[in-house]
Amino acid sequence: MKLLLTAVCAVLIAVVAESEARGAPAAVPGFSYVKSLEGIDEYRLDANGLSVLLVPDHSAPVVTFQVTYRVGSRNEVTGTTGATHILEHMMFKGSENFNDPKGNSIKQYLERVGGHYNANTSFDRTTYFATVGRDNLEGYVAIEADRMRRLWLRETDRQAEMTVVRNEFERRANNPDQVLTEEVSSAAYVALPYHHPIIGWRSDIEHVPIAKLREFYDTFYWPNNATVTVVGDIDPAAALGLIKKYYGSYPHSPQPIPDIYTEEPAQSGPRRVTIKRPGEIGSVIIAHKVSDGRAADQPALEMLDAILSSGKSARLYHALVDQGIALNADSGTDRRHDLSLHLMSASLAPGVSHEQVETALSDEMEKIRQHGVTPAEIERVKQQYIAADAYRRDGTAGVAAEINEWIAVGDWTLYVTFPESVAKVTPADVQRVAKQYFKDDESTIGWFVPVAPQTEKGS
Amino acid sequence: MRRLGAGLALLLAAFGAHAAMADRAQRVKTAGVDLVTYRTDVRDVVNIVGALPAGDAFAAGNAAVPTLTGMMLDRGTVALDKFAIAQQLEDVGAEISFSVGAQSVQIRARCLKKDLPLVIRLIAAQLRTPAFASAEFSKVRQQLIGALQQSLQNTESRAQQAFERAIFPVGHPNRPHSTEEMLAAAKTASLEDVKKFHAKFYGPAHLTLVLVGDLDPAQAQQEIGAAFGGWSGGQDYLHAATTAVSTGPNEVTVHLADKPSVTVMLGQPSGLRYRDPDSLALRVGTSVLGQGFTGRLMKTVRDKQGLTYHVAAGMGGDSLVDGSWDISASFAPALLDKGLASSREVLNDWWTGGVTEAELQERKQGEIGSFLVGLSTTGGLAGFILTSLQRGYDVDWLDRYPEAVRALTRDQVNDAIKKHVNPGTMTLVEAGSVPATAAAPAK
Repeated sequence: MKLLLTAVCAVLIAVVAESEARGAPAAVPGFSYVKSLEGIDEYRLDANGLSVLLVPDHSAPVVTFQVTYRVGSRNEVTGTTGATHILEHMMFKGSENFNDPKGNSIKQYLERVGGHYNANTSFDRTTYFATVGRDNLEGYVAIEADRMRRLWLRETDRQAEMTVVRNEFERRANNPDQVLTEEVSSAAYVALPYHHPIIGWRSDIEHVPIAKLREFYDTFYWPNNATVTVVGDIDPAAALGLIKKYYGSYPHSPQPIPDIYTEEPAQSGPRRVTIKRPGEIGSVIIAHKVSDGRAADQPALEMLDAILSSGKSARLYHALVDQGIALNADSGTDRRHDLSLHLMSASLAPGVSHEQVETALSDEMEKIRQHGVTPAEIERVKQQYIAADAYRRDGTAGVAAEINEWIAVGDWTLYVTFPESVAKVTPADVQRVAKQYFKDDESTIGWFVPVAPQTEKGS
Repeated sequence: MRRLGAGLALLLAAFGAHAAMADRAQRVKTAGVDLVTYRTDVRDVVNIVGALPAGDAFAAGNAAVPTLTGMMLDRGTVALDKFAIAQQLEDVGAEISFSVGAQSVQIRARCLKKDLPLVIRLIAAQLRTPAFASAEFSKVRQQLIGALQQSLQNTESRAQQAFERAIFPVGHPNRPHSTEEMLAAAKTASLEDVKKFHAKFYGPAHLTLVLVGDLDPAQAQQEIGAAFGGWSGGQDYLHAATTAVSTGPNEVTVHLADKPSVTVMLGQPSGLRYRDPDSLALRVGTSVLGQGFTGRLMKTVRDKQGLTYHVAAGMGGDSLVDGSWDISASFAPALLDKGLASSREVLNDWWTGGVTEAELQERKQGEIGSFLVGLSTTGGLAGFILTSLQRGYDVDWLDRYPEAVRALTRDQVNDAIKKHVNPGTMTLVEAGSVPATAAAPAK
């Protein structure tokens, strides 16, 4: 306990020192200041619990404004799979005060001012964002706030948008490797909603009723389930003033935001998935469930992945690509709020069998489990991480996008503390996580086996 | 509307007012290299882009040789093998990559400020003195064959390739080799062919490098001078002997089994280079038709009718020679006919009636605003400068571009549409599992 208190005091001193160096946080009535970390100030809107992160950066006269709703496909069940994503599309169909007939819809406004904008849905969050010239910020905030609680959700719009989303689904299905990745993920999770693809199953996309979308919207689209992140050329007090002006009239959600209590049961044997479709080049994926995205093991997993697959110095390049076994090879962790998914993958070189590539991928992980990694490897990938962190800060949109993913796994401060944790990873940490998570009996292996088109017909 | 105009003015002012952007750039000829350095307020990061005329269009005999040559650049130099180079870069998190396009080898790199001298030295060594080791050539050739085989199943790249082969005549720099031709060529290409190609086309004479970010321009110029000094050679970009003209209407079908979405391209040669007088007017007019969610195609074919996830119109391939004008879209096989009919109807309305004054004013504002937002990263700024230089502009195009857009009139735009676009002679390409009733024979 004493050790913990010491650590807490050290963090507090660091936070205060940082805050003092940059000036005191903005004091705007109606907001509670929460904390500051490395140039990021967190506030809460007292009226409704909306979280706000401000990241002033005056290197260019632009601002990225981003709203992250803590709802993703993990909040869906059979029959509503893909609902979060369809709702994301419906958010562009107009709201009470901003819509096409009025000539001020989000699309009309942002394209008129040249904003770079979009939205996307993941397992754990739904995000709306735009980068605009600083003087166009208020117009965007007003529209974004309006659609938080005053969205049009009309059956006619759902019907038109359903086929749009279905074509998005179809475009993804053109790529066998995309299909394989989703089927492997689906097989790896049997209880957690990560079993369902983010875009949903085709039949659910086609049939989910508007009432279900309305129910989803009224359950999750509330200020206390959202974080607003503003990065760029802002005056913090003015930015908070705008947020209060447009979001301040909303209440808390009438009901608590539903929690997910499902837990994934232990896996007790390897699982296999094979898809056969017309194609030319086969591929292999080996997946393992690993710790949640906030867990202390994640920095070591990050280093493990870099040692395996970052650049020509990486082990998979040496063992698979340079040996002519694979066209490419990768290792990465898809960090999620609950159990994350680790994927090793490779595209087969012409004339090489799936068994050869699967064995080669497994062997590389097994070597790390048995013999660990070298201090030189750790040092190299740490330097890569430091550089990559600097690259991510080139532009306001990149910073906002990175913070967004940490909000999704449940703790934005990891944006700051994760690189610090990476700097402390040791070779022993990497070997430990390799041993802990990458067991054959807990694997899910996928093969894409190309077949000739004529063989496929009639199957 | 007044408020938006004021916003744009403020954005322009904040970026440094008229001519200020170009003033921050330094363009010099150093060791034969056309070099632009641009210092921004980003911390620690330097982004490098470059181009050298040695792309696929320069193939004289074997079609795969330019690509194979480009792929050999990161496989070791006479002084360092590929793993030694990788180690030097990866130990500091720096990145260098090369890719081969129609006319140029593109160079991309990024690094921390402190590592810029290292990265410049390595780029120079990789361009100037590749090792061309026989063992590496075998590996590169196998990887190219695999990548080409993989691309055979991609509806988008197949449609793009079929479209460009249909509208550009043999000998035009924008006409790509077919994947089948490239596969056959890759299997027979020799290392000797690659060495000869490198000797003939690689050199500083038409090499352009753009460095943007946290850098000292004088130091960067010195490093480039030292790294590229003493190198000679290089050839100019290709300029089409004749401008491509529509020979349509024409239909091409690329049959691919088990593809739930068909990729469609409908278009023609534009007959225009980027710098030609009508080009910017046609670009902005085309943007009204098919850029963004407020473009007419998206508004009708996607938003109202729900027939597709993607439909857009644009112009391309016109930086160095006359390029293309096209609509691209994706449709489920069952909605293909309906989607095409709807897209053609929107196209015809646009072509017949032109753009309205209100549409033009909004597009102009949006284009200028988007341009300025795009310059807020080192990558966006570097990319715009390089493309501008390839198009024959100087760096002052950074400041003149918004003015050129602002000066466009409705008459200019609608005249350009009528003069250069002809819906009646367009080429239609469909790639995917095209239903029998919609299919036309492949050509």
